[in-house]
Amino acid sequence: MANVTSFYLSRVIGNKVYSEDKKVLGKLQDLIVDAKNIRPKVIAAKVKSGKNVQIVDFSFFIIYKEKGQYVIETRNLKPIDVQKEDTIMLVKHILDKQIVDMNGRKVVRVNDIRLAILSTGVYIIAVDIGLEGLLRRLGLAKPLKKVLKPLGKSIPSRLILWDDVEPLASPHSDLKLSTTYSKLSTLHPSDLADIIEELDKKTQAYVFSTLDEEKAADVLEELDVEAQRNVLESLPVEKAADLLEKMPADEVADILDEIKEERAEELLNEMEKEASEKVKELMDYPENTVGSIMTTDFIAFTTHFTVEQTIQELRRLKPDPDEIYYLYVIDNEERLCGVVSLRDLVISEPQTPLYEIMSRNVVYVKDMDNVNSLVEIISKYSLLAVPVVDDDKRLIGVVIINDIVYELLKVRKKLV
Amino acid sequence: MPKIAKEQRLKRILFMLSIIGPGLVTATAGNDASGIATYATVGAMFGYKMLWGLFLITISLAVIQEMAARMGIVTGKGLSALIREHFGVKMTFFAMITLLIANLTTTIGEFAGIAASLEIFGISKYISVPLTALFVWYIINKGSYKKTEKFFLALMVIYISYIISGFLAKPDWKEVLKNTFVPSFSFNSSFILIFIAMIGTTITPWMQFYLQSSVVDKGVDVKNLKYQRWDVFLGAFWTDFIAFFIIVATAATLHKHGIVIETAEDAAKALQPLAGKYASALFAIGLFGASLLGAHILPLSTAYAVTEAFGFENGLNKKLKEAPVFYGLILLFIVIGAGVILLPNIPLIKLMIIAQEINGILLPIILIYMLKLTNDKEIMGEYVNSRTFNIIAWITVVFIIILTLILLVEPFLGI
Repeated sequence: MANVTSFYLSRVIGNKVYSEDKKVLGKLQDLIVDAKNIRPKVIAAKVKSGKNVQIVDFSFFIIYKEKGQYVIETRNLKPIDVQKEDTIMLVKHILDKQIVDMNGRKVVRVNDIRLAILSTGVYIIAVDIGLEGLLRRLGLAKPLKKVLKPLGKSIPSRLILWDDVEPLASPHSDLKLSTTYSKLSTLHPSDLADIIEELDKKTQAYVFSTLDEEKAADVLEELDVEAQRNVLESLPVEKAADLLEKMPADEVADILDEIKEERAEELLNEMEKEASEKVKELMDYPENTVGSIMTTDFIAFTTHFTVEQTIQELRRLKPDPDEIYYLYVIDNEERLCGVVSLRDLVISEPQTPLYEIMSRNVVYVKDMDNVNSLVEIISKYSLLAVPVVDDDKRLIGVVIINDIVYELLKVRKKLV
Repeated sequence: MPKIAKEQRLKRILFMLSIIGPGLVTATAGNDASGIATYATVGAMFGYKMLWGLFLITISLAVIQEMAARMGIVTGKGLSALIREHFGVKMTFFAMITLLIANLTTTIGEFAGIAASLEIFGISKYISVPLTALFVWYIINKGSYKKTEKFFLALMVIYISYIISGFLAKPDWKEVLKNTFVPSFSFNSSFILIFIAMIGTTITPWMQFYLQSSVVDKGVDVKNLKYQRWDVFLGAFWTDFIAFFIIVATAATLHKHGIVIETAEDAAKALQPLAGKYASALFAIGLFGASLLGAHILPLSTAYAVTEAFGFENGLNKKLKEAPVFYGLILLFIVIGAGVILLPNIPLIKLMIIAQEINGILLPIILIYMLKLTNDKEIMGEYVNSRTFNIIAWITVVFIIILTLILLVEPFLGI
């Protein structure tokens, strides 16, 4: 008999469970851990004896090694009640399933689970997602290692610490975590989007529906078209509409262009009138026109505003970083007449009106211009954003360099 | 009032058309190079004698494909992911080895089809096969496979000419009808082998994986399951309708004159009643399209299935370095598929049929996995198999296993 400090789940599952006097009590089918702790402890075991399957208290179990084999022994099989919300069954919910590797920020499949035996109990420490785990399950790891050893080679193994693991419940499984996907919501929206894209459609919608609204809107923006379509078509209308209201109108217009017409209409009707009208206007622009990619969220001030008033207004609005590359100046008829940079504002006296410091030489494009002309203008004048005007020279939108880069990438992807 | 009803009906029809696709595409692609060779050989060797088999296989095909589509819709997951999640690593490994063997032989069959079809135009296989292998690798890597798929499918429409040819050859329709519904059987190994090949080419392991992924890709909602069902049934019927006429046409022309199919040109002769001296060219173009489509689908769908099961990176939007196993498998399939054909003196038509025999023998393994999954309430909920479906699918499984067993013991019994 040898003490063990850690072991792999695959080495004990299916093994016989013995009583203290070496009588076979049944077979170990699953281990159940409490999911509330960062380091989850095994609290129960699922043991099958004959046709009878029962969940029993794990605190009477000991695991040790004899002649290279793991032996599971228990003082008694005492049935125990476990709460579905706070527990995870390792074989049923984790082994062979997809999880999110929070550190690598991607979806992986679990080949094995590593557990540690401490004086206070048995704990999960890591999941194995590497080739070695796969081969161990096939019973090939040991012989292969023997063959490879003289050659000085080893089988790559990859473990992820349990702290970095987020289990994924599929809509069909009965895994219900009390704090659903709390780890996922700490990720950057574009990382989270990458992860969601890798999931199957049902799980996609499921994970998405558990995010809070702000996060969900950010993630939706970052998803690829296919995933966007899937999410918007599978979420309840009200919820989807709420999300869309939180997004910039141009992004919404892009997304709605891609989904089923009926559904798009449904969503537009559900959205607040002001928001949906902005989107509708943008959707009316033909593809490849500046209007179809511009954003209508921009900041403009009238000519008589002073520097001080302008800065105060900016403090109040707290605009996104890419909205304040340039501050546009318009006259009373909303016609574009100048542009002021943050630099100009900062170095001028507080009481100076904007018309004195603005540059009257504004480079702009018209809403019906071709997108290609934008690229030339932006690179020629090294701009970060270009204002868009209508036929009466009224300022109606802005194209930010990010959107153009996206547009260019899209064209390139289509060609490929 | 009637106007509204009409509009609604129109809407429903349009909606149905939007769902139709995966089933029809998969089934049509199932009539690949090896399929054509097998059906043509069936007709040439045994005349109308196996038509009853095709009739029954069509029912099995419809039922089995429906199972795959239903699984895809209900779970939103591919077949290999489901196998891995519910049977564990060992059983997955077994399923994937089965799939690899079946698909690799089919891929070899597809390259055989490419070589055979272009030989009709006098192009040596030593030129055609390496070039198409490079072309396939290029298209897959460029990621424009989905567009290319439609083009190849269009080339396969040429097989409609078998239907016309079947009529022009003036078969004995009474005989055809009788053989379609009255079974006849002979216990010799060539009959059994060809019969297994016929099952193996109509219902293939790869089609189940491919169809389920396509359905998942399309993201059909559970409430539209019934429309997807029609797509699958239509596909099964359409593909076997063509198969039926290939057998009839070859039976009425080749079998009548005792011609055994050894080269692609022999198989093309069945089109002579329609196309005369252009028969070979017509056949060659169709076969080329079918083979080329298969040569794309098989490496790709195998790579997806295997990487999905074992959790390796996959997807055409990843770079070679990011998904080495995925691209490695594709490359391996293309290289072996093309490489085997380049061996001197290899009998192309025979090779295509052997591929289907192996497919047929391995099919029950995949079907058993599918049956287990589609009967699992935890996976399928209320959409588990109906009794009728289970009975038809199990009969198919048992029937193929019995045929395989007969085949194994037959040499010892000396029947």
